[in-house]
Amino acid sequence: MSAQDKFEPSRIKDGAEMYARHCAPCHGTRMANPEGAADLRKFPRDAHERFVNTVTRGKNQMPPWGDLLKPEEIESLWAYVATGGG
Amino acid sequence: MGKLFAGAVLLAAVAAVVTSAHAQTQQDLLRDGNGGSTDNVLTYGMGYHQQRYSPLKQIDRKTIKRLVPVWNASLANEFGEQGQPLVYNGVLYTANVKRVVALDIATGKQLWMVPLEWDPAVARIVCCGLSNRGVALYNGKVYVASLDAQVRALDAATGKEVWKVKIAEWKEGYSVTSAPTIANGVLMTGMTGGEYGVRGFVDGYDPETGKHLWRRHTTAGPGEKGSDTWPKGDAYLRGGGSTWITGSYDPELDLVYWGTSNGGPWTAVARPGDNLWISSVIAFRPKTGEIVWGYQWTPADTYDFDGNNENVLADITVGGVKRKALLHADRNGFLYALDRTNGKLIAANPYVRVNWAERIDPASARPVETDVAKRLRAGEKVEVRPRWTGGKNWMPMAFNPETGRLYFAMLDEASVYQLNKELPVYKAGERYMGVENTTAPRKAGEPWGYFGALDPLTAKPKWKVPLVELPSWSGMLVTAGGIVFSGKASGEFVALDEDSGDILWQFKTGSGINAQPITYTYKGRQYVTVLSGLGGGTSSKRETEGKVLPGGSVWTFALMQD
Repeated sequence: MSAQDKFEPSRIKDGAEMYARHCAPCHGTRMANPEGAADLRKFPRDAHERFVNTVTRGKNQMPPWGDLLKPEEIESLWAYVATGGG
Repeated sequence: MGKLFAGAVLLAAVAAVVTSAHAQTQQDLLRDGNGGSTDNVLTYGMGYHQQRYSPLKQIDRKTIKRLVPVWNASLANEFGEQGQPLVYNGVLYTANVKRVVALDIATGKQLWMVPLEWDPAVARIVCCGLSNRGVALYNGKVYVASLDAQVRALDAATGKEVWKVKIAEWKEGYSVTSAPTIANGVLMTGMTGGEYGVRGFVDGYDPETGKHLWRRHTTAGPGEKGSDTWPKGDAYLRGGGSTWITGSYDPELDLVYWGTSNGGPWTAVARPGDNLWISSVIAFRPKTGEIVWGYQWTPADTYDFDGNNENVLADITVGGVKRKALLHADRNGFLYALDRTNGKLIAANPYVRVNWAERIDPASARPVETDVAKRLRAGEKVEVRPRWTGGKNWMPMAFNPETGRLYFAMLDEASVYQLNKELPVYKAGERYMGVENTTAPRKAGEPWGYFGALDPLTAKPKWKVPLVELPSWSGMLVTAGGIVFSGKASGEFVALDEDSGDILWQFKTGSGINAQPITYTYKGRQYVTVLSGLGGGTSSKRETEGKVLPGGSVWTFALMQD
């Protein structure tokens, strides 16, 4: 089963929209050429829990988003990141 | 140079200022970088004019081979050091986003440290690197702003807090990364948040009590001059124009000069009109915030060119006539000289490759936009020069009044830029941009940018040093010893020959340098101090990932003694 098959296309699309708004300025448009933050294309695809924890609580220069994004929205972001941008 | 503001000293002499052996008076501030004691560095920019020039010449082309570090002090900060330290009475005061410290110049020992604590979520509303560019000193107090938009006054002797005010709500996108300044007895601070739909402002406070005196909004509201440059409705309330670099001050004219940022949102489609005073410089009275004149570098900015870069005040000869000029290298790629008495354009020339405007038309003082700009505004994806980070970003230039040259680090990249079809929806404290921007690939071996010495009226370089390995986001300092000090992202603190650009000396500090060197004397000996610590800028990962590690510290140098 490919990564794409694990996620509903609508979830990936929701994640893409959220990514473009909140994440792209630092992590790069469509995850390419990040400006000031980690390269998410290199984020391990089996590290779902780490992704959710980092987005929710923040880590190093990454701010916490847990009070702004709902858990299911973070799952949509994960769908976008884990599928390499859909 | 010493006579530049001589009249102002007289002005200060009659001003009612508190004097004390341990306090920096308004007169001290007026004389800083202007004939005052070289033992002190009391203002952001080494003088109200922000020339970053020192008359010191113990360290010169011959002696510099004996320049050695005398101490190093950790700042325990991985977010990056962009600050300019201040020096008074043998004590160095400096700040980063995490703390303020006072260090003994003689030994580098810490005298006090005050943490600047903020909710980690604040980082969500700081677009382009978590930073603090420095402190202000006045009447025995150290003033510092924190990322969560608070300004503190600390006792300079102990660090004890005297007062603290919240200038705005960070949850609405407001933060502060710049150093405060004090002019004509008023403490002023800018703010940042141009990517979050803020309404830009400069605030004035009573430095003794923290009482709020005035607020000068940078987007014209109903009834204000320039309101007709905004669409009907309330776009000006989210219109950007943040003020994230400290203003300069001419005490004779009693005018403060402050740059303003991009509009909100980035896409100008959302705000038809020129949008005064975004991407501009405004000249205003420090006592009231009243705007006397303004000049817009990039009307209807849709490029994120901003207009915040420092405004250097210099008296220069133009066509045989001495002019009170304001010199400014804008992100938009043009180097400007304005008449600082009235904001009239003297000259504007491109200093890097520019493709969005043909020229700045002398008659209208406005840019003549190219087909590239027209296609971009029409919604096409285009390659724009300079990149949105500019031909020069915030890292300040230096001006030598003896040679009349400007020294600064240039960036020479292009973006691939497109305005989104759908306009962004404003939500407090969230990104409000409406563009898609990436970086155009560079050709192999093409420099990221240059160190250069430029004529302010023609932008013609006396010399340019290509930066091939990494770009530089470091400020410059020029001295009467013929030395230009700056830094490299790879960590070398460098001394260039101001006539040739040749590297005369360098020393590898602990991390990358993207800060602001200063020089001063202590017990008759010339010292140079710079902060090292990669980061705080918008693109540092893209440029340096895997090549340089962060970690802030203060490095101080002097000539080796026998």
